[in-house]
Amino acid sequence: MSRFTDYVKKEFPLLALLLIPVCIAINIVGFQLSQLLRLPIFLDSIGTILAGAIGGPWIGAVTGLLTNCINGIFNPVYFPYALTSIGLGITAGLLSRKGYFGKIWKVAVAAIIISLVSTIISGFITAMVFGGATGNPASVITATLLAAGNNIFTSVFSVQIFQELGDKVLSVLIVFFIIKAMPSRYLSKTKYGPLYISESKNKRARATV
Amino acid sequence: MASRIRALYPGTKLIIALAIGISAFIVPTYWFGFAAFGLAVIVAFVCGEGKAYLKLVRNSLLILLIFMFVMRLLFSGGKTIYWQWGYMIISAESIAVSLAFVSGVLALGSFLLLFFMLTPVKDITAALSNAGLPPSGTYVVLSAIQMIPEMRKQSATIMDAQKTRGVETEGKLFTRIKAFVPTLGPLILSSIASTEERVITLESRGFTAPVPKTRLYVVTKRRVDTTIEIIVIVAFVAVIAGRIALSLL
Repeated sequence: MSRFTDYVKKEFPLLALLLIPVCIAINIVGFQLSQLLRLPIFLDSIGTILAGAIGGPWIGAVTGLLTNCINGIFNPVYFPYALTSIGLGITAGLLSRKGYFGKIWKVAVAAIIISLVSTIISGFITAMVFGGATGNPASVITATLLAAGNNIFTSVFSVQIFQELGDKVLSVLIVFFIIKAMPSRYLSKTKYGPLYISESKNKRARATV
Repeated sequence: MASRIRALYPGTKLIIALAIGISAFIVPTYWFGFAAFGLAVIVAFVCGEGKAYLKLVRNSLLILLIFMFVMRLLFSGGKTIYWQWGYMIISAESIAVSLAFVSGVLALGSFLLLFFMLTPVKDITAALSNAGLPPSGTYVVLSAIQMIPEMRKQSATIMDAQKTRGVETEGKLFTRIKAFVPTLGPLILSSIASTEERVITLESRGFTAPVPKTRLYVVTKRRVDTTIEIIVIVAFVAVIAGRIALSLL
């Protein structure tokens, strides 16, 4: 039992723990901002991906889970999608271990992988729990595909993949730029942050002498 | 009556909500789910939150339920066909299936909404502490809920500031996407910078010290809570047993 608690203490140091509420708030505010700007994508997982990228899979998973729980308080529909958020956080963390948020081509690959994970898990939940209906305009397209004779999984996934690609590619890009803009001082204290401290930042820091 | 309902232990309220909500899926008649929703509305009004509750249900569940009903109605197939066009079939079976499903989701969703409406967050976190959640967990949840309105106000300020610097927030889709990053970027960076200060503050107040912490706000489980929980669990098991018996007959 104490080995488990030691492991937990190592995975959840205080700085990482404090990353969680900030990233949850980023998720929620990001979603509201995208609604305010009337964008067709949700942009509600930027915080989860960021938490996973810097803090590791566990922090990302907890961020995702809590975001959906808090969203679920006001709209119980979001509770089942906690699985997707957890999956996203874990994926982002595992990708970050290999430094996938460092260079632009790696970011592109990471974006595609994350979109796929999101599509698969969300697609299953929408198809099985909600029968394909989500209450937003995408369901109309799903319904049309169903009317044309496709089965539920094909219809849901076809609609989901386009939405998720647009949403996750943009989210991962935003996370990439944010990590680039973060001060090295902060990144050095996080789990995977040191992977992204670049030479040019160090040069700039030293140049101020 | 209202205060007695509100004074119940959060765990008790959750068990009641889940038991009724899940029973709506187990019971073979769809009237149970709709009756459960009616009960939830009555409880909301008794506790003085009727109008706000109805508004919340309308905003969150209504559209989803309509979509679900229509999709199950048209695409569940069935033998006693009333109307057909292409692959869309409305039959006696599909009507029954969609009504049953919608009543179940309505019951579960409405009771969960009721639970969260009647239980303040500090009760929920206090109950979680009682159940063994470490104080860092409590802090994470509370701080997340606190930060959301703060960040929302900050994002409005940042968006105004960026607008005065010439960032376009109306117009074509691509223009609006371009407005997203300059608004969200400074917000995220400043929030992350503040967490460093927060860590130092918490450490200086002994947050991570491995000693038992005392709490200012406690919720205790009383005997009436345990009694209600036992009754609800027994009733729930009876519902499951009844369903199994029905399917075996």
